[in-house]
Amino acid sequence: MNAVDRYEFLNAKLRARIGLMRSSTLIDDMLKAPTLVDAVGCLRESGFAPLAEIYDKTGDLQEMGVALVKGEIAAYQEVARLSDPKLASFILAQLGKDEEDNLKNTIRLWYSGVVRMHSIRYRSAYLYKDKIVQDINWTAMINATDWSGVVEAAKGTIYEPVLCSYTQEDLQQHGLFDLEIALDKAWYAEMMRSVGLLGKADREIADNLFLHDFDLKNLLRLIRFGRYYHMDAKDLEKVVLPWGRLAASRECRDYIASKAEARDPMPMVKRIFPQVASDVQRIVENYQDPKHTEELLAAETLRLETYLGTERAKEYGALLSKDPFTIGVILAYLYYYRKENMQIRAILNGKYYGYTAEKIREVVG
Amino acid sequence: MTLFTKPMKLLTAVVLEQKSDEVVKSLLALGVMDFVHLDKLDPKQMEKLSSRPSSVSRAALEDMRHRIEVMLRQGGRSLPSAEKLNVQDMQKPDMDGYRKLLDGINGQLTSLKDAQRSSNQLVLGLEEMQRYINEQKYAFLDLRVGKPAHGGMDELAEKLGAFGAVVTTSSTDSGKYISLTLRRDAAQVNPLMDKFGWTETSNADLQRTALSDAAQAIKKRLDEAVRKRGDVQDQVTAVIANNAAALDSAWTNLRLNELCDQIRGYFSYTRNTTLFSGWVPAEQADEVQKAIYRSSDGQCVIEWTEADAMPRSEVPVQVSAPKAMLPFSRIVQNYGTPEYGSVNPTPFVMVAYLSMFALMFADVGQGFVLLLYGLFAMWNYKRKPQLKDGMISRNTSQLLVYLGVASMVGGALFGSYFGYSALPALWFNYDAAVNGEALAGQTITSVYGILGITIKFGIIVIYTGLAINWVNLFRKKAWLTLLLDKNGLVGGLLFGIGLYLGFGFAASGYRSFPSNPVIMPTIAICMLLIFLRGFISYALSVKEGGTRKSGGQVVMDAFMGWLVDALEIFCGYMSNTLSFMRVAGLGIAHVCLMTSFRSLSDMVGGAGGIAIYVLGNLLVIVLEGLSAGIQALRLNYYEFFSRYFTGKGVAYEPVALKG
Repeated sequence: MNAVDRYEFLNAKLRARIGLMRSSTLIDDMLKAPTLVDAVGCLRESGFAPLAEIYDKTGDLQEMGVALVKGEIAAYQEVARLSDPKLASFILAQLGKDEEDNLKNTIRLWYSGVVRMHSIRYRSAYLYKDKIVQDINWTAMINATDWSGVVEAAKGTIYEPVLCSYTQEDLQQHGLFDLEIALDKAWYAEMMRSVGLLGKADREIADNLFLHDFDLKNLLRLIRFGRYYHMDAKDLEKVVLPWGRLAASRECRDYIASKAEARDPMPMVKRIFPQVASDVQRIVENYQDPKHTEELLAAETLRLETYLGTERAKEYGALLSKDPFTIGVILAYLYYYRKENMQIRAILNGKYYGYTAEKIREVVG
Repeated sequence: MTLFTKPMKLLTAVVLEQKSDEVVKSLLALGVMDFVHLDKLDPKQMEKLSSRPSSVSRAALEDMRHRIEVMLRQGGRSLPSAEKLNVQDMQKPDMDGYRKLLDGINGQLTSLKDAQRSSNQLVLGLEEMQRYINEQKYAFLDLRVGKPAHGGMDELAEKLGAFGAVVTTSSTDSGKYISLTLRRDAAQVNPLMDKFGWTETSNADLQRTALSDAAQAIKKRLDEAVRKRGDVQDQVTAVIANNAAALDSAWTNLRLNELCDQIRGYFSYTRNTTLFSGWVPAEQADEVQKAIYRSSDGQCVIEWTEADAMPRSEVPVQVSAPKAMLPFSRIVQNYGTPEYGSVNPTPFVMVAYLSMFALMFADVGQGFVLLLYGLFAMWNYKRKPQLKDGMISRNTSQLLVYLGVASMVGGALFGSYFGYSALPALWFNYDAAVNGEALAGQTITSVYGILGITIKFGIIVIYTGLAINWVNLFRKKAWLTLLLDKNGLVGGLLFGIGLYLGFGFAASGYRSFPSNPVIMPTIAICMLLIFLRGFISYALSVKEGGTRKSGGQVVMDAFMGWLVDALEIFCGYMSNTLSFMRVAGLGIAHVCLMTSFRSLSDMVGGAGGIAIYVLGNLLVIVLEGLSAGIQALRLNYYEFFSRYFTGKGVAYEPVALKG
């Protein structure tokens, strides 16, 4: 199958939807809405009217969140259905991120109930329980009375080996941090494997987009765990995802090898994101007082994430003006879809907690 | 309804500034003025004029109105109708008051919504247990029957409630209790049970009935929780209903202020006077003049400018059509606005569209289904004014009524009743012609005859378009275009010659063209005239002050224009005419599909046969109906409109209470 045959239908279909999403004023209208009721009112007038109906029926924002997740999963599955097998495998690998997030949420809830012995009551209803990509028995997992039940529920999936390598005692003693990092790596590995199956042009586009993400994720992790939580070199090495330019750089190795108190992220920032290095330097200088560690971490993270957010938006926008018969349009569509869902979720929560439109805008970009 | 667009007049008025508010109100109440900005005055004069900022910005008024609309919709209420907008009731908008009103309602709704969320969470917990029982996933459940040795059952039930437990009394032994929890909570529930000295009963009967007792208890609680959750929605509606009068009043006042502000936005001011200008339908000019005189106590100066004195492209266009023709006005509006002074296309579109549809989808029974569905959809929208337009919108439902009737008329002409020839055809039996079963003496006996009818129909449509174009050009006094354009008289003549040759060729059994000594010279003269058009057009433009070009450039432009026109005349007219064969194509496809379903139904027989026949009819109604509707629209837009409709007009949009 040539590129035109593969992409002509998807390209036309998804471009129309992207056009609608980009021309929509929904997010601005919701941000302007003074209260949650007004924000939900904006949904009533849009393609998200079923969300407003859920709010009318339940008054429960988390139920609306579940509906958004369902919509997102359905969107990925629809695109995968319309694609040939190789492309579908790549798209489903992308959807694997939702699955991995759902898995982490399920394990967290299970951990809270069984290990920490807190009542989880109705909260399991907010988990997605249908098949996403792999055959994970979500109901059995959340009802497992011990760790072996959790592992059994994920049998035959890419996560089984990861889960098997932990015991309930490990989790009791050390918490879920290591496990979640290992699950992340398992998903990323699967995702990169599916990238490898793509054709040359598609692979270049995907590599270009994802390697940027790896760099940012690694940088944020290194700053957070290496500098603020003083993680030792051996553990810090484990949190680094082995892809992207940063992971292979000398600056990264030096940073990890440094003593926790002496770790300086600036050489890494300058190497990977030179455009934003001066801003980060200024933030560091403004928060010299050790009492403001948390604020510094938040400010640095926000600046870097904002930078990446802007760059990402530019990159995905640019994909629409490039070769239409590549994976670019699909990636752009999924990006805009996910972004719109994330923005709606953030605005609804922000309005519920009474944040100002400006504050919420900082988060939604 | 008028045959042409409505004549318009431009009003320019000066009133004393202290009277301007009254003038605004009277103009808004009339709602016939399409305002224009006074930016075409001499710049020096413009400098002396100023605009006045409003006390409340229009954006703030709109935002507040939008908030009220959100609230009203949340309560399932309609927005106040335009009839409730009375300019005499307008007051200065009390923005703080409106904000307080909305915040107050919001406060009540927030508490109600919190209560609703709690009920919903209870529902979620109970539904999970109920699902496990229904799906027989007993491994996830922990069912106990017995009683506590120390402490009261109420106290134990309260503590178990933290884990979403369902506790009830056994239906077999009122001294025994049933506790249903999730097994995943065992680590917390077991110590609690031990603490209260829970003794499990050994009575097998009690154990056997425990699950159904627990299921009943869950159902009872679930029903109660669902009812409570639903009650909140009713309370939300009631809160908004209680405040409906205040919300309606705030909405109408905001809307009136917005409209007045919109009108004021077109006003310009000197120290003591207010100037404004706008287009008014000529028939309402007197009414507007009187209203301005009345509201300004005669202290005004009014000047009228006839539309002829202005460039046609600046005159707004009002096309009047009876309400019954609304679906067809929409078809025209979707394409564009006619030019000022041109023929109103709506009645022609109505006739052309319905004729095309009737030829493509001719069946009395299926048309009747469309008619019924259209009437039902209209009734449903009327019954539920708040209902959003679905796939079949309000406009489409009205159109369906017309299409249903057209299809029924077509069906009677061709003798088709749900695909059967139940009654003799009034014109000819389409089905028989397509299936080669036409009786001798029938008007049309084969598909070639049907193709011929649709081509002749297409020629009528194209010539109607040309005739309308000639009338428009005559009224515009565009003599050169009227004579020498491809859609002008020369184009029409060439099309006629083409038809003469084409029909002659067909009549000879596709062997030879008719030999007529007039034909070739006429074609040559027409082509020469079209070639000369480029030169005449250039000479006229230079005379009117247009740019001069070199001789070579003029010749080249004229030649290229001629070439394009020639191609469009010879290929365009032919393809436009042949395009109407799709009408026959769809009609034939309709017959073939119905023949197939009929045969299948006969072969299967019995209930299965009936089912095939009914489903086949439904499929044809949905797919063929849609297809015929789209093709008729396409033929109108491309083959009919392209002959006379430029769509370059400016729509007449008065500022009015109904808008």
